[in-house]
Amino acid sequence: MIILSHIFLGSSENWEHLKETVLFDYVFNSLYIMVGVAFLTSIIGFSTAYVTTIFSFTFSNFFHYALILPFAIPTYIVAYIYGGMFDITGTVTTFVLNLLDKNLSEVVFFDIMSIEGAIVVMSLVLYPYVYLISKTYLKAESASIIDASKTLGLTQWQIFYKVIIPISRPAIVAGVILAVMEAVSDFGVMDYYGVATFVTGIFRTWFGMGSIEDAARLASILMIFIFLLIFIEKLQRSNKKYKSSGKDFKPIAKIELKGLKNVLAFLLCFTPFFLGFLLPFTQMSYWFVLSYKEVIDEDFIQILIQTVLIASFSAFLITALAFIFVYNVRLSKNKSSDMLTQIVKLGYSIPGAVIAVGILSFFALLDHYIFNFFNLNILISGSIIALIFGYSVRFLAISLNYYESGFSKIPSSYDDACKTMNISQSKTLRKVILPLIKNSLLASFIIVFIEVIKELPLTMVLRPFNYDTLAILSHEYVNQSQIVQSSVPAMFIVGLGVVSVLILARNMIKD
Amino acid sequence: MLKKITLGTLLLALSLFAASEVNVYSHRHYDTDKELFKMFEEKTGIKVNVVKADASALIKRIQTEGKNSPADVLITVDAGGLFQAKDEGILQAIESEYLNTNIPENLKDKDNQWFALTKRARVVLHKIGSSVPDELTHYEDLADPKFKGKIMVRSSNNIYNQSLLAAVIAHHGEEYALKWAKGVVANMANAPKGNDRYQVTAIANGIGEIAIANTYYVGQMVDNKDVSQAQAVKEVKIIFPTFKNGGTHINVSGAGVAKYSPNKENAIKFIEFLASSDAQEIFAQANFEYPVLKGVKTSEIVKSWGTFEDDTISMNLLGENNKKAVKIFDLANWK
Repeated sequence: MIILSHIFLGSSENWEHLKETVLFDYVFNSLYIMVGVAFLTSIIGFSTAYVTTIFSFTFSNFFHYALILPFAIPTYIVAYIYGGMFDITGTVTTFVLNLLDKNLSEVVFFDIMSIEGAIVVMSLVLYPYVYLISKTYLKAESASIIDASKTLGLTQWQIFYKVIIPISRPAIVAGVILAVMEAVSDFGVMDYYGVATFVTGIFRTWFGMGSIEDAARLASILMIFIFLLIFIEKLQRSNKKYKSSGKDFKPIAKIELKGLKNVLAFLLCFTPFFLGFLLPFTQMSYWFVLSYKEVIDEDFIQILIQTVLIASFSAFLITALAFIFVYNVRLSKNKSSDMLTQIVKLGYSIPGAVIAVGILSFFALLDHYIFNFFNLNILISGSIIALIFGYSVRFLAISLNYYESGFSKIPSSYDDACKTMNISQSKTLRKVILPLIKNSLLASFIIVFIEVIKELPLTMVLRPFNYDTLAILSHEYVNQSQIVQSSVPAMFIVGLGVVSVLILARNMIKD
Repeated sequence: MLKKITLGTLLLALSLFAASEVNVYSHRHYDTDKELFKMFEEKTGIKVNVVKADASALIKRIQTEGKNSPADVLITVDAGGLFQAKDEGILQAIESEYLNTNIPENLKDKDNQWFALTKRARVVLHKIGSSVPDELTHYEDLADPKFKGKIMVRSSNNIYNQSLLAAVIAHHGEEYALKWAKGVVANMANAPKGNDRYQVTAIANGIGEIAIANTYYVGQMVDNKDVSQAQAVKEVKIIFPTFKNGGTHINVSGAGVAKYSPNKENAIKFIEFLASSDAQEIFAQANFEYPVLKGVKTSEIVKSWGTFEDDTISMNLLGENNKKAVKIFDLANWK
């Protein structure tokens, strides 16, 4: 809200300059990234979710877990590794050129360090958002829809695009919106790949021109973009409602694939797993082995423990908060609380450092108030409370999106039925609602946990004295040209991510 | 009664604790700093508390914390940040005989609100054996059409590029600066991207012939565990260009005392320590920076690059011109 208010400020000299020179680039590039990432993540995420849910093929059970893993790798590491392999001087590029005995100018070359490259790299690590939400959704969507479609004489392919895609739309959209918001709020990858977006512009205007007002104005335009995106989608969706009847939660009988189809399904899943996880992971492992002895010491262990503690606590808090939000909207069926939920979600599209500034101002006011009225000189800004609050603002969107798709599967007739049977609201919650959205709860907890562990800009600005996290440590090594050493904290980030993902996937299989 | 005593001791303990610490907001993120802070703690018994983030964010944090701010010292990695801090009114003038006599005039604020601690030069690198050194002696030459398609340089989002252009403005004015920036853009071998190390690796691999980079990045690449960096840096050489009417462009990392510093004395002691010859030597040895204190030895690697004359324009001008520089970059379409 503080950020939004800046739009209505009058014009300034800086603003005129931005409009005349770079604003068009910011708008165009950010839109391009949004469209590109939406396109790629929905295709990769949904196709793999569909294939692993409906069919069984070589390694399909393995992919069930493995396809989530790219999510555990910090984006900047993937971007850096891909740059090192595929850019103009990359190891792979040089190797292939030598093999062909050609110069760079003589071949058709796709430079990964470009806006298209950034879209590909971001999509490779962000598609798991779509995959996870779609998968939870597809599994719960009763197999009866498929059965019914079959009795109507539809082929497997027709079922896919005439039935499955339309009914899965809320899930795909929920995942895509998260992926898009994360992509447009990224600074590290875009700056390194030389792409000027709203976010690089925000920092350039703030740091370079010393104008936080104009930076905030850029941030507000970005928020409006995202808001429009969500709004248009909602509007469209409300025309076509596919509400689950809630009958027949029977498991899907998986169809076994053979021959060419088996190979294709395998490749479809192997490619994103390989590019999004295996390839960068292999490079990181090599670096890890080179430098773990030098990096791991007592301080490191303490940072590790600190990171796990704050991430678990924040994930727990955010998951609980989001539940209250969504459940409240469901019960009250109130348009304004739904609107509030949508606005809260926008927090995810704002770069962490900008949110951090808003939070600083908020707590500074609060501290001032406490000081004046209670004569207590307590500083909340710069405390762990401010930091956790910051995570909540930023990551509530993720949690909310998981619930919304989870809740949309539970028909409201359930609540009504409980009401007519005189079952109390809390009992309905405990006995009916919670068991049904257990997976969404767990998914939210784990995704937020991983996100907090990976978070960098917000943590840097809001943290208390002498407080480091794994992500910060990794970032500091990168800044000192020690990319090899930076892989050690990054490896622990990935490790924690992998363990959490495995827990998540196991629970989803058991269901 | 008992309560009063406990409260009293508690308050005393708190005030004692407060008397023996210094709270540092730093944009520097090097292992060397950790080492130096430990040295300071051992020497003085004053505990150093650190929070590290980008200077602009730290300045904003000090600003919003206002009179309650626990910040004692702000450290930045460029003159622009120090200028901005002073401009926002979050620093205070300090009296220090040691800093006044030992830090050169152009490397400190005229009102004694901040002092430089280390210097870094922004230089040009070329592949060993290339003809570049014969043709390039001034920063002004970088805009010469003879270097068309040869220059590798990072994006203008970067503060070090902004400072370089701010120096061009200081020497020749805005009009020339725009012409110069346009000339450099026309000479670029590739769209600006990556960091300084990326530019050095590129020219080592035959993409472009001239890389613009800060000296300490080059130092960090030597003996790097990342083989591609260590290999690339062996194939390049540094030249120290000068301005036609000045010396080699330098930028500084420096510190100032926060306006509402609760531990002002410790803060001054802390900055004096960082400017002492012991500390200066560590900056120079471990992080390949140039000391601000005369008579302190640089590292062997740094020495091997040769010597140069500093450009002596005031660091204040870099900060003052920074905003103009960013706008000129936009106009010149330097991405």
